[in-house]
Amino acid sequence: MSIVLEGVSKRYEQQIVVNNLSLEIKDGEFFVLLGSSGSGKTTVLNIIAGLVSAEGGRVLLHGRDVTNLPTQARKVGFVFQNYALFEYMTVAENIEFGLQVQKVPKKERQLKRDELLELVGLVGLGDRMPRQLSGGQQQRVALARALALEPDVLLLDEPLGALDAKIRGELRRSLKAIQKQLGVAAILVTHDQEEAFDLADRIGVMSYGRLVEVGSPRDLYHRPQTEFVASFLGTANILVGQTEGKQIQIGPHRFELANEAARFSPDGRVQVVFRPEDLVLASSKTSLDCAPLGEGVVTNMGFNGPSERIRLELPAIPGVRAIAPVVPFGKQNMVIESSRTAEQAASLPLSVGEKAWVGIRRLHALSHPGMSFLVVTDGSLRSQSAISLGGYLARMAHARTVLLGVGDDENLLDAFLQDARKQIGSGMASIEVRTDRAPTRFAIARSIEQRPVDLVIVGWRPVEGMGLAEQTLQVGDHHLLLAAHPGARFEKALVCVASGEPGKDDVMFAGRLLRHLGASATLLNVSSSAPNTEYQHQQIERFMAGGVHSLEMFGVPTQIKLRNGNPQTEIVQEIKEGEFDLVVMGAPLPNKDGRFSLGGVIEGVMKDAGNCSLLIVRSHYHKNTINYY
Amino acid sequence: MNTLLAGNPKTKTTGTPLPWGRWGLRSVAISYLIVMLVIPLLVILQDGMREGLVELWRQVTLPIAWHALKLTLWTSAMMVVLNTIMGTLTAFVLVRYEFPGKTILNAIIDLPLAIPTLVTGVMLVVLFGPQEAIGSWLKEQFDTSIIFAPPGIIMALLFLTFPFVVRSVQPVLLELDLAQERAAATLGAGGWTIFWRIILPPLTLPILTGALLSFARAIGEFGSIVIVAGNIPLVSQTAAVYVFGEVESENRLGASAVSIAMVAIAFSLMMAANYLRKLSKKGSPEEIE
Repeated sequence: MSIVLEGVSKRYEQQIVVNNLSLEIKDGEFFVLLGSSGSGKTTVLNIIAGLVSAEGGRVLLHGRDVTNLPTQARKVGFVFQNYALFEYMTVAENIEFGLQVQKVPKKERQLKRDELLELVGLVGLGDRMPRQLSGGQQQRVALARALALEPDVLLLDEPLGALDAKIRGELRRSLKAIQKQLGVAAILVTHDQEEAFDLADRIGVMSYGRLVEVGSPRDLYHRPQTEFVASFLGTANILVGQTEGKQIQIGPHRFELANEAARFSPDGRVQVVFRPEDLVLASSKTSLDCAPLGEGVVTNMGFNGPSERIRLELPAIPGVRAIAPVVPFGKQNMVIESSRTAEQAASLPLSVGEKAWVGIRRLHALSHPGMSFLVVTDGSLRSQSAISLGGYLARMAHARTVLLGVGDDENLLDAFLQDARKQIGSGMASIEVRTDRAPTRFAIARSIEQRPVDLVIVGWRPVEGMGLAEQTLQVGDHHLLLAAHPGARFEKALVCVASGEPGKDDVMFAGRLLRHLGASATLLNVSSSAPNTEYQHQQIERFMAGGVHSLEMFGVPTQIKLRNGNPQTEIVQEIKEGEFDLVVMGAPLPNKDGRFSLGGVIEGVMKDAGNCSLLIVRSHYHKNTINYY
Repeated sequence: MNTLLAGNPKTKTTGTPLPWGRWGLRSVAISYLIVMLVIPLLVILQDGMREGLVELWRQVTLPIAWHALKLTLWTSAMMVVLNTIMGTLTAFVLVRYEFPGKTILNAIIDLPLAIPTLVTGVMLVVLFGPQEAIGSWLKEQFDTSIIFAPPGIIMALLFLTFPFVVRSVQPVLLELDLAQERAAATLGAGGWTIFWRIILPPLTLPILTGALLSFARAIGEFGSIVIVAGNIPLVSQTAAVYVFGEVESENRLGASAVSIAMVAIAFSLMMAANYLRKLSKKGSPEEIE
């Protein structure tokens, strides 16, 4: 392995920029880190080069642990986006700089320099000053300079970003050729998808400091595992269907699954992706040579040379939810993006407004279900926390988000919703804004009915009771976050479990959420009295070990804490001592009539916990469990 | 009403200013320059040469005058060497490091320009005077005195000219591209190599400019030196103090002659500084076509 990163993390002013990232790059491999700006990809390069120190984890280059070595001793070649040539030196002096520092004799140095000038195609320009060269030429010099010391690895930070399209293409080809010729492992950082596809042996897609997926360009495009990668690379149609054995049910239609040893969600819901070119258009259902999806109306057409893009609107299929492309709120129809070659277009000419049958030739199921949030705001001070934290969580976790504004003054509602949208800002997977003039609990119920979510986020302040929280839990199967402090970043979470309950789902959902935040967790068990027998003791230990295992599966560093005494006081004590900003507790059992009561431990803890937010997680097995909260 | 709203033609007086305005402005500025600068310079030149070049040269080379000029030049030169090194260092620390009180320090640097130079002299006498703690200790331990001796002159000049190098290096240092230093580090260069080969080259011209400016400023310093160094001929009397003495004793020719020498030195230094400034502008890398 040329480059190995093990659990590397980095924070700037509390904000996590590289989140527990692990990566292995083979000898001679061309690896591309792809992500939008601010995703932390450049920081990863800087950590490998030692220009930025990592907070945790290890960096190995050719098996050598360089984590604590200075940049100078790491033997990396680095090419910067703005070239960073030494402006007071000639091209030749630039290339020879590294050799000179290593005290290589002059003869040898010149030989190497000429060889490199030839390699990058700049023979005869050695005497020029950098400012006398074009951008493309300057970057070639920078490449030659980085290669002069025959580095173990080559790190390229958006090297083609500042160049215009034609030169970029040219330089891209030489870059790949030179890298293959020298056989040096390279990591290139870019936000340009086409560049990544063109250059990479493997691509790692980064977002908010996490490496979301790694794979060959082909795999990532045709067989993405996450909704984020599916929609980040190219155009994707994403629907939610049901699994039936080895088939996927989408409305009345069943599709065979060719691939997948996927870990489908326990309730059988699954997200399926099909690319525009996976669709077939025909004039009638019978002339389709594949499974039909429905008859649609062409709403939009575009021509881009070798192919034609067609957007169609199909009637909604009962039980099927469309995720991408996003359907405007209030519309029931499904929007589908398709593309076809000029030949196919010739056999069935279409124009806007015409009808066509749509069939799916190939589809792919995502193995990691995406999350969806509902953020509730009524313009009050407390919903400020919901917006701020909900936006942060949704961005970090790539969750699809519904922003629900409630209130009976329409103008006021519009004003603060606009404000909220601005605050939540960019970087969201998808956000949908709804308004409802009914009282908050009815509005939430109505929204959940139309579109179930994984997590509802409402604002909460210590002066308030648990009424809204109780009502919110009643209307669906979601988890609930009571957001207490708008500035919180959830770096330390306290997960309260009680031995005896399975609690696996509680812990699992907390893990799914926390891993996106780079948070650490403390698993707390409070027993009413110290364990008497060895058996009790072992039971608690086994139970806690299971919890730690679940959390660490998600890459959340976890420690165990055991306390004895009154649950409420012990939990509050632990929150204060450990300065936690998030506490996770299991939802209590509902009454016989389906009502929840959060009075007791949860209410007690929240009253005394100050600015600590509360995540109430539901166990899907709660019917069989005894929960003492 | 309508015509008013449609626009007042008088407000549309954009374009080139009237010719008399241009010439008027120029002649005012040029006359001012002539009256304030050129005439006094010419007068002193004429006054010094009124007995001919030979007499002028004789006046300059009188032992006391000659010593005063030499003392001025070598103390200024010493100051320039120290000021260049410490000024560059200060600018570097101010730009590259964070420390408590940085903003205050940054503001204090310009203070010597505002403090009356006499006050500067008094401060140094209070600090290093033979009766004061430090002064007497230095005298006892090393048998050196600062006040009424060349070290005092150098101290006073250092204080006065402190801002010049710092302020001409600071902006250039701020604009340096850190990526070049990082690139050098990835190529194995250590801190010193990076400083000498990457950071210093673009700073050379600003450093030289600052050095020349402080030198020119030091040549004519009077207020602080007359207090710190006194007026001891052949020991601690600088050119400016000598000129003052000659004026007092009504030897106008001697005063003018040494003044001309000082003006000539200052003038050539300023020209050199100007030239360097122009060079540094031209030398900075332009956008790539």
